[in-house]
Amino acid sequence: MTGKDIIKITLNLVVIYIAGGIILTAIYAWTSPIMYRNDVIEKEQALKELMPEAETIEKLGDWTVHDKHAEYFIGKRGDMVTGYIVQSFGKGYSSYINTLIAVDKDFIVQRINILGHAETPGLGDEIEMDSFTNRFSGKDREHLQVVKTETTDYIQAISGATISSRAVTEDAVKQGVDFLIKRIREGKDGEPAEHE
Amino acid sequence: MVSPQNTNRYLDLIKNGIFTENTIFKLALSLCPSIAVTNNLRNGVLMGMAVLFVQVMVNITVSLLRHFIHPRIRLPVFMLIISGWVTVTDMTMAAFFREAYKEMGLYIQLIVAFASILARAEMFASKNKVTPSLFDGVGMGLGFLFALSVISFFREILGKGSLWGFPIIDAKPLLIMILPAGGFFAVGILMGFFNWIEMRYAKKHRSS
Repeated sequence: MTGKDIIKITLNLVVIYIAGGIILTAIYAWTSPIMYRNDVIEKEQALKELMPEAETIEKLGDWTVHDKHAEYFIGKRGDMVTGYIVQSFGKGYSSYINTLIAVDKDFIVQRINILGHAETPGLGDEIEMDSFTNRFSGKDREHLQVVKTETTDYIQAISGATISSRAVTEDAVKQGVDFLIKRIREGKDGEPAEHE
Repeated sequence: MVSPQNTNRYLDLIKNGIFTENTIFKLALSLCPSIAVTNNLRNGVLMGMAVLFVQVMVNITVSLLRHFIHPRIRLPVFMLIISGWVTVTDMTMAAFFREAYKEMGLYIQLIVAFASILARAEMFASKNKVTPSLFDGVGMGLGFLFALSVISFFREILGKGSLWGFPIIDAKPLLIMILPAGGFFAVGILMGFFNWIEMRYAKKHRSS
């Protein structure tokens, strides 16, 4: 390799890598605000879908579950509290299941939404289907229990996916509801439950 | 420039990519994504389209720069071009095709390491003009798309009884097909099937 080659190779690499860097920076500058905006919109929509009766949904604070950071919110209509939304995680068969849970002001579960998971496709991933999440509406914390037989009083497990069903019900949702009851009843956030 | 002869050559390049040198069934390259993302048709098709796009863009860029790139450093430069286009695809998909990106995001970034794309840049685009490189990219990309679609079609219908997420039959005839192990079965059986067809085809041609 001659000296000329070395210079040419260096120049080659410098030019190409700088050009690549500039192009990527430009695209990033263009797309990242859009991504950020989409994130915010999506989160707001997810919260709204969980609590359509609320006019405003405000963040109350943060908490940790399974060493993961999660948030909780309060939904209001005028001055009236319509309920709370809490994010929670459950340890599933092959992943932590990221869940949003909406409860009314008596801490009865209204709706839940599975935000993310990596459970077995075809078995565990049925936890995100409406047919499963609908089983949660109207359950208080005592009825958040997985049963393998046919039932509407408790949560009926998905056949072939008991571990994932349990993780959602007895881990994610129950912990979330327990946390809300404790935190809100204690009134730590300046939002005392008014029916006490 | 577009003479009948040229058109024929381009058609041959596309056919070559889809059948004669099909990335998965013939070259047995990039088998990882062909197992990882093919448990439903939608993922398979989207992944195939992303690869098609990246392959074409990489081929064009490499072909345009082929006189400028010093042969000794061609591989790092190809890698930069590939990862550059993959990142561009990744970011634009994240911004504009959010729903698809949620499922595909992880795999899009994997395209960087696809042997098939580097192989085409090295074997074809760096030695040919832009137009044939473009058609080679289209052919290879379509071949990949075709392979992924076929694999994911069978895996989803057999494993989940649905297609593109819509239930077709109310049963799961062969659940194992959507699990990772089923991916190996599907790829192996289809690879054998396509090779068998080719052998029969070749035999017929010889005897007639």
